[in-house]
Amino acid sequence: MSQGRSIIPRPKRWDVPFSDEMTDDVVERILSVAPFNKIDRKKFRAPITLEGIIQNDARLVSCQEGDIIIREGDWGNSAFFILSGTVRVELMASGKFLPPEKLGRPVTKRKSLFRAIAQMWSNSKEPEFRDLSQPALSSEVGSRGSGDRTRIYLQDIPRLLDKYKTVALEAGELFGEIAALGRMPRTATVFAEGEATLVEFRWQGLREIFRKDASMRTHIETKFRNNALEGILRNEPSFANTAEEDMQQLLDQAEFNTFATYDLSKQYRDMARGGTEGQLTEEPLVAKEGDYPNGVTLICSGLARLSQRYHNGHRTLGYLLPGQMYGFPEIEEGWKTQKQLPLSMSLRAIGYLTTVTVPTQLVERLVLEKGGAGKSHQSPALDVAAAAQTVTNIGSDIIEFAVDNSLVQGTATMIIDLDRCTRCDDCVRACSNAHDNNPRFLRHGPIHGQYMIANACMHCADPVCMIECPTGAISRDLAGGQVVISDQTCVGCTRCADNCSYDAIRMVEVRDGVGNLIRDENGRLPIQQATKCDLCVEQRIGPACQNACPHDALYRVNMTDLNSLGSVFNR
Amino acid sequence: MRSLAARRWYSLGVFALLAAVILALYAILSFSIHPTSFASGWTLWGLILALAAYNVRKRLTFLPLGSSSKWLQVHIYGGLLSFVLFIVHVEFRVPSGAFELSLTLLYFIVFFSGLGGLAISRAIPARLTTRGEEVLFERIPKFTKRIRDDVENIVLGCISETQTTAIPEFYVEHLKHFFDGPRHFWQHLFQSSRPRNDLLGEIRSHERFLNKDERAAVQRIIDLICAKDDLDHQYALQWTLKVWLFAHIPFTYALVIFSVFHLVLAHAFAGGSE
Repeated sequence: MSQGRSIIPRPKRWDVPFSDEMTDDVVERILSVAPFNKIDRKKFRAPITLEGIIQNDARLVSCQEGDIIIREGDWGNSAFFILSGTVRVELMASGKFLPPEKLGRPVTKRKSLFRAIAQMWSNSKEPEFRDLSQPALSSEVGSRGSGDRTRIYLQDIPRLLDKYKTVALEAGELFGEIAALGRMPRTATVFAEGEATLVEFRWQGLREIFRKDASMRTHIETKFRNNALEGILRNEPSFANTAEEDMQQLLDQAEFNTFATYDLSKQYRDMARGGTEGQLTEEPLVAKEGDYPNGVTLICSGLARLSQRYHNGHRTLGYLLPGQMYGFPEIEEGWKTQKQLPLSMSLRAIGYLTTVTVPTQLVERLVLEKGGAGKSHQSPALDVAAAAQTVTNIGSDIIEFAVDNSLVQGTATMIIDLDRCTRCDDCVRACSNAHDNNPRFLRHGPIHGQYMIANACMHCADPVCMIECPTGAISRDLAGGQVVISDQTCVGCTRCADNCSYDAIRMVEVRDGVGNLIRDENGRLPIQQATKCDLCVEQRIGPACQNACPHDALYRVNMTDLNSLGSVFNR
Repeated sequence: MRSLAARRWYSLGVFALLAAVILALYAILSFSIHPTSFASGWTLWGLILALAAYNVRKRLTFLPLGSSSKWLQVHIYGGLLSFVLFIVHVEFRVPSGAFELSLTLLYFIVFFSGLGGLAISRAIPARLTTRGEEVLFERIPKFTKRIRDDVENIVLGCISETQTTAIPEFYVEHLKHFFDGPRHFWQHLFQSSRPRNDLLGEIRSHERFLNKDERAAVQRIIDLICAKDDLDHQYALQWTLKVWLFAHIPFTYALVIFSVFHLVLAHAFAGGSE
């Protein structure tokens, strides 16, 4: 290969814009309406200009009556600004929700005993068979468009508006920004009331605007404080019983922060190849070991690493996930002994992290003085001695392997102890039997010591695969929380498979009952669908793979819980 | 979660208790006028059927019948208990007659193949992680072929690039057989690295006859010899892990069929013995 052919322009942000349709006219139109016309453009310096953000990090979305824009519970990384038209937000507080079928969401039914037995003879002999006689969606919901432009829409909007409580959002309003910036699930369903034009911002652009413009920052922070923060604080035992007037003080003074070095976990894995120490120094520091705590930090979304200086490097002592706290033991101990104690571990953001920090003086006055202490030790990793002991028991190398490879996201990670696995493949056969003769995982994957992390869906705490699914075909099971894909609504756009950094989602060409590839009527191209492990959500036995392992070699482990991890590694 | 060591002690304790009960019952009943062989025979037959049912359970993966791991534990300790029942049933003697001897032989094949299988299942997996990459058994032939193609390309490259035949001749004489398929099964099974060292020794002793380019090619061949040897190691151990069941399961079916005949015959001639 000639040297000339290896030279390329250095990759830059916005090489690939969100949409190719954002012309200068469209950008100017958006900038001419509030609140964008109030933003001081001088604060945005080249090359990240406000015009550039709108041109490259936004796109226009045209909606028709009933189009579902976002659904409660789905993951999202974008926010929407209403340029024209009206959208409706379903009010969850009304207590009467749109049923999942109406939202085009799959409802998983557990097999009856007879249907479970019938699998012996009713499983298809053809690979990846799909029953085309089933309607794709319930009669109350429709679908239009194709590929990643597919939209699920609600029918008979007037009747829905009568039956369910909703609130209208008009042109000029922004929604979905808390979920986008916080990488949290959507808290409400939003659909178009009539024809509407929206501007969809991906979070990177939104974050730039949020950082540079005080009014936008205030707007988003106010919304966050009003809509989401109280729920987050009330979920934490230390703040759960705080009186209303005290809670208002907490809401007013708590600080919302976002730390991010990359978007999806694919990029994270590239970074992880640099090794633990290299990776650790790249991670944004949230709080530094040895500093005095300025407050209790609550993880809202994402993943954080707890590390401690060890000789000339840093040792990972654990990790924190949404709902866990950092800094409380030091503040509590300092309050008891009337001394200022420094932080015993550093906290670093792995990828995308959002936190809420409650100032020290508020914690002392509203929590410790009122007897709320002692309830917050949710994670053993918060206590240095306990963390060090856990690390010693499990092995710090395993913890670092899990953190460095982002495996701690898994709530049902498949771990195979190769010292016990006889390679009999009973797990693969059981998986295949449970899925119409199609195994949904590979007994293959990264190995650390005697442990293999198999290529099976881990059912991540932060499932990036769910971001960008145009039809909501990939979603959490309403009962068990497993991440499942609906064959009836998957349009084969490959977004989920592209976003999954663990290669746990495969695209397959589907077949009819006699083994013929199912093709689309226009291009005659084979129809593809995404498939992955669903933790045997329809079966009566739980994960068939674990149930079928004769040698106690295969476990589905909740990696978010260090104790659960320890119980497997210390058998 | 109970640790594996704790579970082992618990199971051994239950096994020892049940074995003691069987032996005590035998000792007590042997003083009475009733023969114990029917009671021990029926119990043994029931136990053998229960043990054989494990293979059926393994196929019914989608039914809530308990985990395979628990079934295996029952299978292992039930199998050990069957041996106690068996020696009680034959009253500590070698059975006479062709049929009884065949039945005994079948039982011993099944019992000892099971014990052997257990030993293999516990000893070999850890050895698989010590050498070479983890590779699926079904893919080994594909990888073997890929390595053979690579080495043959190097050898053929020597002819066209260096215009000499030293390496091709060496390959035909010493290496072709090695690269053609799985080799040194027993040596891998018993952890001997002698075949690998012998091959490497031979090729290194040959290096002094080669020029600089050929030596570079030999180094690549040495890497491929090591890769192929690791693959053979995986093949030998994984094959062993799979193959013992081909003795254990068919002989179990034969044992069940023979034992049914034995039951019929025992009851048919029970009156005569009285």
